[in-house]
This record gives sequence, C-alpha cells and structure tokens, in this order.
Amino acid sequence: MPATPPDIDLTTGFLNRSGGVHAAARAVADAEAKGAALAVLWLDIDRFRQINESFGHVGGDHIIAQLATRLRLALRSDSVLVRMGSDEFVALIPSLQLPMATRIGVMLLAEIERPLAIDNLLMRPSASMGLAVLEAGEDALSLLERADRAMIEAKRRGGNQLIISGDERLTGRLGVQLAREELAIEADLHSALESGCLTLEYQPLVGIDGRIEAVEALMRCDLPGRRLLPGKFIPVAEKTGMIVRLGEWSLLQGAQFAARLRDEGVPTKVAINVSRAQLTSRNFAPALQAALICANVAPALIELEFTESLFLDLSDIVQANLRSTWLAEVGIAIDDFGYGYSSLSNLKDLPASKLKLDSSFIKVLPEDRRAYAVVKAMAMLGRELGMTVIAEGVETAAQQAAVEGAAVDAVQGFFHARPMPEEAMLAWLKERTTHAP
Amino acid sequence: MPRAIPEFYLHSRPGSGNLNFKLIGEQISADVSLAAGLIKTVNSPYFGCRSRCRSVHEALLMLGLDATSRAIAAISLRQAFPGSAHYERFWQASAQIAALSGWLAQTVRKAGLRADDAYTYGLFRDCGIVILLRRFPDYVKTLDRANHEAERAFTDIEIEALPTNHSVVGALLAQNWWLPEEICLAIRNHHDRSAIEHFESGLPAASRYLVAVSQTAEHILQHATAGSYTEEWQKLGPSCMRLLGIEDAALAELYDEGAALIRSSQ
Repeated sequence: MPATPPDIDLTTGFLNRSGGVHAAARAVADAEAKGAALAVLWLDIDRFRQINESFGHVGGDHIIAQLATRLRLALRSDSVLVRMGSDEFVALIPSLQLPMATRIGVMLLAEIERPLAIDNLLMRPSASMGLAVLEAGEDALSLLERADRAMIEAKRRGGNQLIISGDERLTGRLGVQLAREELAIEADLHSALESGCLTLEYQPLVGIDGRIEAVEALMRCDLPGRRLLPGKFIPVAEKTGMIVRLGEWSLLQGAQFAARLRDEGVPTKVAINVSRAQLTSRNFAPALQAALICANVAPALIELEFTESLFLDLSDIVQANLRSTWLAEVGIAIDDFGYGYSSLSNLKDLPASKLKLDSSFIKVLPEDRRAYAVVKAMAMLGRELGMTVIAEGVETAAQQAAVEGAAVDAVQGFFHARPMPEEAMLAWLKERTTHAP
Repeated sequence: MPRAIPEFYLHSRPGSGNLNFKLIGEQISADVSLAAGLIKTVNSPYFGCRSRCRSVHEALLMLGLDATSRAIAAISLRQAFPGSAHYERFWQASAQIAALSGWLAQTVRKAGLRADDAYTYGLFRDCGIVILLRRFPDYVKTLDRANHEAERAFTDIEIEALPTNHSVVGALLAQNWWLPEEICLAIRNHHDRSAIEHFESGLPAASRYLVAVSQTAEHILQHATAGSYTEEWQKLGPSCMRLLGIEDAALAELYDEGAALIRSSQ
C-alpha cells in the first residue's frame, strides 16, 4: 500500500519517521517470510547544527534536499529511504548481506562527502553512519536501535565513518548508560570551564634529604554540591578533546601559582600534567609560552609531566613540542613510569630530567621483594640517565624506608602530604621553610 | 593602576548612596582590566550565581552595587594589566570596538549571536597585546609589521618574532576569567581567515559571528576616524561580510550609522 501523504517528508520526498518505522516493520516481516537478508543504514549529517546556524533553516533544508538526492541516486530502487530527524536518514535495503552492505555504506559516505556549493561557499559535508543487518527473530525496533547505536558510536569517534553494529566499544544496556553518563560529564565540564568550578590542588614531592623538589598540580572539579572525580572526568575530557582546554587552563593556573610562591618567598617548582592531545597540537608551544608570559614566571619554576604512554609514538610534532619545551628551559618529567609500555629506547632519547616511578610498584612495598628489585633497578637506570627519580604513592613509613633503600631521590604520597588547595599548600611550604634545619 | 578605578570606587563604595548603574557600568566597561576582573569575580564560585555572567551589565545586576564595589576593591588590588598613559589609546580603541560590536550584533541579527557577548568579546579580543607589550619591548615593531602585512596572517608575523602570539595569550586569559567558551574560541581564532570562512573548521557559529562582528566594527571605527589603518579588513573583510550577510550598500550605511554612534559617544 503506498504511503499516505502524512507519512512523507516534504523536503526530501522520503518517508518521515512514523512512516519509516512502519516501513521497517513491513520490511522485517517480508525478509523473515522470504528468509532473506535486510540491512539498515542509519546516517547522521555531521555538524548539522552548525550548518543550520550558518546558513539558516532554509539553507539547511536546501542542503538536506541535495544530500537526499544523492542518497536516492546512489541506492537501488527497492531501497526504502526515511528521514528520521532533521539531519538523520535511514536506508532499509532488502536482500543485502553484511559484506555488500558495508561496501554500500562506505560508498554512501563518499557520496555525501562530495563538495556542495551554497551561498558561494563550498562546504564538504560528512556523515556518521551505523549499519545493522537483521538477525534471526529480531524485530524492527531492535534492528533500528542497533543501527542508531552504531551511528552514535561513529559520531563519538569523530564522525565521517561507518560503524557496524556490534563493533561499538560500549554495547548493550550498560553501554547506553555509560554513554549517557559520559554525556552528562561532558556537559558538567563545559559548565565548570565557564563557572569557575575547576581548581587545582597541589601535592609536594619531598626529597629524601627533606628539601621540596616540586609541587604537582592536580585538577579538581567541584560542582555545586558534588565533586566530580578526576578518574571520571579526565577520560571523558580526553575523548571529547576538551582536555586541551583543561590542560591549557592548568598551565596558566599552575604558572600563576609558581609566581605566587616565588613572591611569597617560597620559590618552588610547579609540576603540571600534559595530555597527549596537547602534546600533539601545533598550539602547544605558543600556549606554554603564553602561560609563562601571562604569569610572569621563570621557566625554571615550571615542570611538565608527561605519562610515558605519550612517548610511544614520537611523531614529528611530538618531538618538536618536546624540543621547544626543553629549549624554553621548562623541566620535563616522565610520569607513571613502569606502568604500561615502557619504551627504554625512547627513554634514552627524551630530554627529561625527572622520572616518576608508578605507584603500583610502591604500594606493594616493602613485602614484595620482586617489586623492590624493579624499583631499585629503575632508580639506578634513571640516575644513570641523569634524572631525578621520584617514587609515587608512598603512604607509610615502611614504604618510605623501602624506597630510601632503593635509593630514589624523592617521594610523593600521603605519607608526606595529601593534595591540598592553594592556600593550604602555601602555608605548608612556609611552615616547612620556617622550621627547616 | 587604571585611572577609572579609584574614581569609580569612590563613587560606589557601600553606603555611598550613588546608585547610577548606567554610569558605573560605563566606567567599568571602559576599563578592560576592571571589566575583566569584575566578570571573573562574578563568575567565580564565591558569588554562587547559577547562571554565568557575560557582561559588565549582567555582573552589576547580579551582584548589586555593594557587592560590585567590594569586588572592584579586591580587583583593584590584583590588577592584571598595567594602566599607564602608554596604553590609554589601546583601552579607548578596545572600548569603542566593543561598543560598536554590541550595536552591530543587534543590527545584523544572527542566530546564536548575542549583543552582550559581542560587547564583552570586543573588550577582551586583543588583551593579549597588552601582555606582550609589557613583556617584549620590541613588540611594538612586530605589531607594526603585522598590521601592514597584506598577505599572511597577523599571528604568523608575530610568531616569527615571538615564542607565542596575542590570540593564544588572549584566549588563555579569557579562560582564566571563566569567559564563555565561544568567546575564548573567538579570541583564539580571530586572525584565522579559514576559521571564519569554513564551518568545517570546527569553530562554533557563535564564535565565527563574534570574530566577524568585531572585525567589521573595527573597520567601521577605522573608516570613521581615519586612524590606525591596518590590513586586516583587506584580508578578513570579504569573509566577514559574507558570513554576516552584509552587502556593499549596507556597509556604506553602516559607515554612516557607526560614525554617528562614535560621535555621540564622544
């Protein structure tokens, strides 16, 4: 039975959402009756909100209509095309198995990517695409939902790609819940960056001889009535790219604290964490310099901490950024060393002056003699490379004694001090200076 | 310390009885550092405002005069910028560009473009220049070269002479003051033609409008005052006009209206 006009989207001539859901049910019933395959491709145009804002809704409709034409011309005539939302399309393609459906999906992505002229501007649209192929006994809604979820994953990975249902990193109900939680955290971070809910706390690195080696800046996000834990928000910030803004914010805040410590008569290095996204950015060196200049602080009072995983891929840009850090005379520390993939060949080539041994080795001391042997060997390695060696996560007197035995240069952990707000850190440093022998 | 502060503080101390919001708002807005400090203060968690404040006017409304004057007192102790006569012209130009940007935003009417944001953005857009002037004595020469560069981006000229550029410095400062994300991004990209021209650049539409509006405002100011001519309009102007939907004839009208506004504010 032909679709009645209320089921048709006027801009594209495709079925609208409600018409599409009915058509999907019919297509599933047909496929099951014939024992044939059925593929669903769910497309979402990337950055469509921006397109609408830039060209207005009339311009947006014009673009949608052109993209719809491309889809219609590219697909077999027995395909059913649906406009599911303002910038979302679904194609129901009968008798299509997964390998061919994947090829068609990739071909559609290329079709959409062709340049499109509007208002004298040449835009290059792209889409995120999810693909699901009907499974035995599956109903239409479940099939559509799988394609939708795969599309969302394609979008999450940066768009302009095809994800096949089942290849999502997060699957099933738990996955949906996690994805929602991540979205909520992302919204919280945006709000924190505009409402002053981000702060830095500081934890000292104390030399075996008692002198203060540095204080490490640790990011905190205190929203009204609750604290968002770094273990929750840092991974989300890394996935969404917000880590660059957070990292640059930390750079300036940390540099300003270093200037304050100097002005208050307790000059101390401030160690600031740097993410992979920052280190691979062309803006890294200008942002570092901007922070030093704004805070009016000497580079010798700043140290950047990179986790060793950052060095696995020493691309040209990473090397250039490390070189400019070193040339700027800003200290470089390797964080969490020994955890994950420690590359000794990279270690010997890095211009780092500090090696921080991962807390996973320290927390099993002093009982675990094998861990002790590793700590001792890493301490020797670091020293031979001319680095200051720090043991992270020292919580007890016994652990302190053990790392002293392993000949590290300094320690960081609850045994000496917990991370504390700026004012408390300043008071702590002044107190130690006053009572220094 | 900028001259506006003691005067303003004197007139608006708690209990001084001076309740001229408009006058006080204008005085604060005319001073980039004071405006910066006030907005940062209001947006800091200590004031507990649920929504974030985007302009001096909102800051005044949110805080009330007494709280504002307290905030100002604190800010005046922690001035971010030098305020000597050397920078007076810079502050004045920033204030004029900000005012014209606010007006222009209302005139062109684009979705997502707020006049308050355009005003705030105009005030802070070039604050990085002040920091660099203070740090690098020769930066004046670099600025001169960049202003007269017809082909390459302004920031490319800066980066040849300096380890950074004023857009990055300004964006970092703006984040430090908790300014809205679209304003920070606009500051960071305000000399990048491709970011204005192509929505694929990833720059939000609101940020691109802010860049275009203030660039046009600066051009109108330069046209009206025939002063401090730069090459920026030659490089960015066509993209800005396309984005804002301004035709040549409309620009001619904007010259006249802008000039009248500038005269009326003097």
